[in-house]
Amino acid sequence: MDIQHQYVLQVADLQVHYGHFQAVKTVAFGVRSGEIFGLLGPNGAGKTSTLSAIEGLVRPNAGQITVAGYNIATHALQARAAMGVQLQATSFQAELTISEIVRLYGGIYGVTISTGYMQQLLEGIELAAAAGKRYGQLSGGQQQRVSLLIATIHQPQLVLLDEPTTGLDPQSRRHLWQRMEQIREQGNGVLLTTHSMEEAEAVCDRIAIIDHGSIIAIDTPEALIEKHRHDPAVVSVSRKGKITLEDVFIGLTGSAIRA
Amino acid sequence: MQKNIPKTATVLAFLLQADFTTQWRNRRSFILVLLVPVIILFTWKSAIDKIGAAFAFSTAISIGLVAIGLMGYPNSIARDREKGVFQRLRVAPVPRWSIMGSRLVVQLAMILLVTLCVYAGGYYFDHITISPAGYVITIFTALLGGAVYLSIGQLIVGLIKNPETVNSTARLIYFLFIMVGILGDLGVLGVQIKQLINWSPYGVVKAILAGGMDHAKWNKDTTMALAATLGYTMVFATIGIRKFKWSAK
Repeated sequence: MDIQHQYVLQVADLQVHYGHFQAVKTVAFGVRSGEIFGLLGPNGAGKTSTLSAIEGLVRPNAGQITVAGYNIATHALQARAAMGVQLQATSFQAELTISEIVRLYGGIYGVTISTGYMQQLLEGIELAAAAGKRYGQLSGGQQQRVSLLIATIHQPQLVLLDEPTTGLDPQSRRHLWQRMEQIREQGNGVLLTTHSMEEAEAVCDRIAIIDHGSIIAIDTPEALIEKHRHDPAVVSVSRKGKITLEDVFIGLTGSAIRA
Repeated sequence: MQKNIPKTATVLAFLLQADFTTQWRNRRSFILVLLVPVIILFTWKSAIDKIGAAFAFSTAISIGLVAIGLMGYPNSIARDREKGVFQRLRVAPVPRWSIMGSRLVVQLAMILLVTLCVYAGGYYFDHITISPAGYVITIFTALLGGAVYLSIGQLIVGLIKNPETVNSTARLIYFLFIMVGILGDLGVLGVQIKQLINWSPYGVVKAILAGGMDHAKWNKDTTMALAATLGYTMVFATIGIRKFKWSAK
């Protein structure tokens, strides 16, 4: 396997503009097989635009994105088939039942869903008893579990998770972390965006911090903390004398509240 | 590892199944859409001899088409866009035209159903019958006429993002079409308004429906109305598709 194929996602010189506003200015990073990669940044830093470009929801102004070896611009369907996506917002037809949604997306991704397999999939997210329940009737946590199931139903090489634990209770959050770790153990890559530094520290193998449309730091959580431990901007925002990932994040991106 | 991408026909079949299921679960609103033309046929029972079967049928079908195109289609598109249903489908290996294509097929099926129900209502309440060829041609003209209203619905969701604004705009246009259309067509609002209504989307659709039912009376004006129907559809659909945004944000 050559170096190209160790990366399930490669982003090179990515630029995304909205009119005259440059949301993403020359971003480059890669996600390896069997890795959970965190993309962190304050509001408006360029995370969502970067993710949207990878998902194919916005057309980049420059740069190249490759998913599992497929260029998103020239082989969009193949690239999208190789990735699973969990979007931030609720995103399935509220009138359809869980099993109907699973069948729909199974069909779209070319996965045959037998009755037994359906049962197995729903048991995996502890929703077997609610198979006939409409999506609109589920709780936020249940909807997130369905959404993650759909994102991984075709066992994609790359899974994109956009702030997946927002609004979840601690039990649901832990359950989601375990699912992410299972994906990693299967040798697939995860690109995670989150505002929770605790989450990033707990599950991410590597982290990129993005601000004002550019990546300002990229490394393992431990290495980032170690590297910036004595940085005056980081030390000045630390609490209780211990440097955390959150201190590094605020030290690098500033304390000002973003819109 | 190479991923299996299903054939477009397979994807479309799954989308259609989901969209028809959604339509079935929302059947109450469709029954309301259906009730208006059937009530018109019922209440006009005693006037059929005066106004003619073709007028009654074409008016009832037109009203059903207006309701589907202006009330059903844009509201469902605006609501699903707001929820992010389209964005979720767009990140899957699905050709984008198939997402909307499936929605439109469901609406065309609804148009067919409305037309058949109006036939049944006309026969049951008013004992109206037309020639077998008239029934067949009217189905085609109803599909063409439905396309005009669907394209107006597309124009509305293309120009307006907010689902509440889409809903209120669609209601307003629906009201204008129905009230001004029927009253103007009957000549109550004067000759000039009647002329205007005749060449509006409401008037041209009604003309091709009436022409289809009694094809012996199909004349130059009906052909012009057919051309105007196609023209309106192309213009509204082109603007609506070009301006359409998949996300409400």
